[in-house]
Amino acid sequence: MRIKKKEIQSEIFTGSMADISFLLIIYFMITSAFSATRGLDFALPEDTQTPEIKQEDSIDVHVLRGGVIQVDGQGIALEGLLPYVADKLKQNPEKPVILRTDPDATYGDMILVFDELRQAPDKIDMEIKTISIPTRREIENLWSMLGIQ
Amino acid sequence: MALIRGRDRKGGAQIFTASMADIVFLLIVFFVLTYKVEVDRTKMDLPDTWIRIKVPEKAAVISISPPDANPPLTIRVSTGEEMSLPVSTDEEIVTFASTEVAQNPNKEFIVKADESVPYERVDAVLDALKQSKVKYIFLLSEQKTVQ
Repeated sequence: MRIKKKEIQSEIFTGSMADISFLLIIYFMITSAFSATRGLDFALPEDTQTPEIKQEDSIDVHVLRGGVIQVDGQGIALEGLLPYVADKLKQNPEKPVILRTDPDATYGDMILVFDELRQAPDKIDMEIKTISIPTRREIENLWSMLGIQ
Repeated sequence: MALIRGRDRKGGAQIFTASMADIVFLLIVFFVLTYKVEVDRTKMDLPDTWIRIKVPEKAAVISISPPDANPPLTIRVSTGEEMSLPVSTDEEIVTFASTEVAQNPNKEFIVKADESVPYERVDAVLDALKQSKVKYIFLLSEQKTVQ
């Protein structure tokens, strides 16, 4: 009498694989975010190398409410900012730019001007070596040192 | 001879699903590679800029919510590795930033603010970072496009 050999099934059950895969996809879709990972950078000077910048030795860019720009006390359009800076840098390439922003202006107004200044190498083929963004406290400290109320 | 007529033939209306597993795995691989936990999920309209430098991973994040958010102009801080937490005073930002700088003097900070935020708030944050001797700051932005 021949004994029948029992065939052992060696299959991996993959029926639930699709469910697990879809579950993983849903998890990743919900938890992942296509976040912004780029922006404008600026380095702050260290205490030991903080240069003392006088207003008259620099280009004073003042952003007012509504995005109005004043450069060295004169109103100017955004398009005219870099040509003006280029003229000044031709006289002194080391001239720093001080970017002041009115507290009532928006962050977007300030970024618009900062972005324009950072484009100097592309637009006017000149590099602005120093762009200083003083805070209100720093400006007030400077004014009190100079005795300006 | 029995001929199979059209109406007798069993119509199989099947959808071909053999390649579904490949597509699903491709999607999973894509998500695994691009997956990044966002430490601050405050919804806002970032300002648009032409110049955009890649911000370093694990940089600390300070976010300022839009004026029309609920609650408005909330400042949240994150070390870059944990989810952001709200802070109520500027002194808390100084304390947070000083702690981070004490651990890593070259720690980068990302300022994430809505474009409509009054500059006064951003100024207070920048001032707090300057007081904490932070060296590198990134102002998060979106890509500006030609209108």
